[in-house]
Amino acid sequence: MSTCNDCTYFFPVPENAGDFEPGKGDCVSEKEDAKGKYWLSRPTTNASISCPTYNKSK
Amino acid sequence: MATVAESVNYKGKVINFPLANQQENEVADDMLHENLARPTTERTKRLKARCRWKHASAGEFIDSEVRAGIERMRFITEAHKASEGQPEVIRRALGLANILNKSTLVLQQDEFIIGYHAEDPEMFPLYPELSYMAVQDYLMSDYSPQPKEEAEAINQYWKRFSMQSKGEGYFSKEDLTRMYQVSTMEAPGFATGYNSITPPYETILQDGLLKRIEMAKAKIEHAQKEMEKIPWNATEGLEWISKIDVWKAMIIADEAVINWAQRHARLAKIIAESFETDPARREELLEIADISHRVPAEPCKGLKDAFQAKWYTYLLCHAIDRYASGYAHKEDELLEPYYNISVEQKTFQPMTYTDVVEMVEMERLKISEHGAGKSRAYREIFPGSNDLFILTVGGTKPGYVDACSDMTDAILEGARNIRTTEPSIVFRWHPSGRVKTKQHVFECIRDGLGYPSIKHDIIGTEQMKYYSQFSKNKNGVTDDEAHYWALVLCMSPGVCGRRKTQKTRSEGGGSIFPAKMMEIVLADGFDWSYSAMQLGPHTGEPTEFKTFEQLWEAFRTQYAYAVSTVIRAKDVCRYFEGKYLQMPFVSSIDDGAMELGRDAVELSEQPNGWHNPITTIVAANSMVAIKKLIYDEKKYTMQQLVTALRANWEGHEAMRLDFQNAPKWGNDDDYADSIIKDFYEDIIGGEMAKITNYSGGPVKPVGQAVGLYMEIGSRTGPTPDGRFGGDAGDDGGISPYMGTDKKGPTAVLRSVAKVQKNQKANLLNQRLSVPIMRSIHGFSIWKSYMDAWEQLNIDHVQFNVVSTAEMKAAQQEPEKHQDLIVRVSGFSARFVDIPTYGQNTIIARNEQAFGANDLEYLNTQL
Ligand code: SF4
Repeated sequence: MSTCNDCTYFFPVPENAGDFEPGKGDCVSEKEDAKGKYWLSRPTTNASISCPTYNKSK
Repeated sequence: MATVAESVNYKGKVINFPLANQQENEVADDMLHENLARPTTERTKRLKARCRWKHASAGEFIDSEVRAGIERMRFITEAHKASEGQPEVIRRALGLANILNKSTLVLQQDEFIIGYHAEDPEMFPLYPELSYMAVQDYLMSDYSPQPKEEAEAINQYWKRFSMQSKGEGYFSKEDLTRMYQVSTMEAPGFATGYNSITPPYETILQDGLLKRIEMAKAKIEHAQKEMEKIPWNATEGLEWISKIDVWKAMIIADEAVINWAQRHARLAKIIAESFETDPARREELLEIADISHRVPAEPCKGLKDAFQAKWYTYLLCHAIDRYASGYAHKEDELLEPYYNISVEQKTFQPMTYTDVVEMVEMERLKISEHGAGKSRAYREIFPGSNDLFILTVGGTKPGYVDACSDMTDAILEGARNIRTTEPSIVFRWHPSGRVKTKQHVFECIRDGLGYPSIKHDIIGTEQMKYYSQFSKNKNGVTDDEAHYWALVLCMSPGVCGRRKTQKTRSEGGGSIFPAKMMEIVLADGFDWSYSAMQLGPHTGEPTEFKTFEQLWEAFRTQYAYAVSTVIRAKDVCRYFEGKYLQMPFVSSIDDGAMELGRDAVELSEQPNGWHNPITTIVAANSMVAIKKLIYDEKKYTMQQLVTALRANWEGHEAMRLDFQNAPKWGNDDDYADSIIKDFYEDIIGGEMAKITNYSGGPVKPVGQAVGLYMEIGSRTGPTPDGRFGGDAGDDGGISPYMGTDKKGPTAVLRSVAKVQKNQKANLLNQRLSVPIMRSIHGFSIWKSYMDAWEQLNIDHVQFNVVSTAEMKAAQQEPEKHQDLIVRVSGFSARFVDIPTYGQNTIIARNEQAFGANDLEYLNTQL
């Protein structure tokens, strides 16, 4: 089963960050609606089961 | 073709009024405002074009995409359940930390100032811990958070912990039912969750949070050493326990805030490196990342830092930790040191003046997108806007030295260029204020923004000194600190700075409604027209009032009951806020809370008690008409009046016209004004000032209106001023009733100047002639009017400069008039977003021209 770890939208939290925890990452996705583009960042972990937005990293 | 004002003969000369900008001759009157916006850059033009406004009209959001988010309520509830058994102040800090750690961050295209308070830019958060009724209201609407079942379960969970269930137990059912009618009294804050705050922005910009954390740690270390002293002394030692908890909570909150800002920094960097294709924007995103990595953890080093740190602090204090309306800060003085670094010295984040104007415009658009999770009732009272957002500029520094600067000018120029309804601006007027800045103020007003509203600098400053004497810990503001104030919401001054600022609306704010009280005084306290219940004490059958004084005293009794009840409700709310709604983040940036180890909500150093009488003039004009027609001239009896009122004047039109034509406020009429002056000073202010509130000081009236003059008007039956039941009330604290000020603008000033005693603030709405203001003499006339206003010691004034032609055209074709802004009461609104009932109250206001007699009174130099 794929996990966030394999997704292009997963960005691990750097070790020197205040909220660092092993495996923790930011899920960053790009959105667009009639008023323009915006980006969302949600906390996730590398082991989380992938969501429907999953995009396999090459 | 534009209308040009008619010439006047003044001081032996014919004065013509050609338009200052000749090109405007070609602009039709009814399209003027659509031709005045000029965003400074292409970026702010784009940002305005795609702005996610969250305006409401008649309580409904205008944009169908706007809705409530669930994240905030989910995360605060999760933390509350997980922290059971811990000290309440620690639980509050953990709640904030859980929201900040887990919430979704938003960053939009073109933004430079970043940060939002919900998981999607079309959403806003809810606060079940403040008011389950407000959340319930959303659950029953199209804006409900999703999944709805989860939101319902969360709201149910908080019901027993809420402020409402805590506060209600200390009031009789009768008093509660009366307050919940919102017709003589506003509902209590413990039920509505409506709030305001003046955040101590200065500490966060000057110190940064890492320093505040170090301060709290040092305090804990000191406290622990004190507790370990031998021999043990419990009378002193035990006091450290609660202080240690407060300092620990500050550290939890501040660390979470730093991590949250640095998550934003990571997001900006990730977008730059993985999504953005434009090299210039990529570079800008990396600069944004650098800023959010440093602030608010560290002190601000330049103006961009200051704008960003201020925005994060705003979001935390007004939207994430607790909901609070307003945008209280002295923005020009707060930012001036960083302006000097970046613009004058160019030693960090070098910028030009025009760059600063663009930043101001971007900040205004951030506020314009800010959604507030207020209940329907509170959305209804700000038609055509999002919420109350009011910043303050101008005024004086210690010694009454002019505080205006180039930062002041940039704030005003940005506001004029971008044309947004929010945030509103207050300009503190003092004779020493530089003319260059006053010209910018005029240009905003002339262009019809409705702001800046103007406050009298000396009245506000001396008021801060007056309240200081009642400080419970003898640490109110010093004479120097008294100069550093801003409006907390739309009308009332409160100090700004590193400590002593107002932290909650239970100190000052909330409304009472004299027009409705006038109605029930004429029915022995019974509300026959709206709620069909006894709404106040029994004050006697009006037909048995043999003298005017008996009527006067009956009103006093109704008013004294209402005002004591509502202020008791606020203080009961404050009591519980201090125990269950602590604000560890705000405490951490307040020097007083840090020094004393006390929560910022519970601690009061500078009293600032006020309450808002709204619709006073309807009641006061009614008193005048009754005195003249019933007690002086004896043309009618009280029985006839009561009968006519119960029939909503139907079948009594001649009598109604007599009452309507009785002398009215705002015409410099000695008969009316002497009664109304006493009404304000003896009853409205005099009775309120007898009260002592939580902070140990008196409570004073701040007469204003928000949109409540419409809502309360609709709940108020016919009144003896000749008004029909359901008609709007008066639109400001001391403004003449719409259309009844017929003797010109200077007669209004002379009337208003008569009320001086026992007041904190009073809103004066005036509508000025568009052709005169836009003529070559516009500034000279307005400036002489303002100088006279200042000399007359009047607290406040604000202006609409918009033509009836343009408002009527906008009613016909709203889609063509998106940039038409009007001043409603303490806020400006997009005209086409106001319900027709409200639009008509603005059209009905008298448009004041300046005749020769006015110019002579003002001694205008033309
Ligand atoms: S939550 Fe979905 S989109 Fe986000 S990183 Fe995981 S799989 Fe990718």
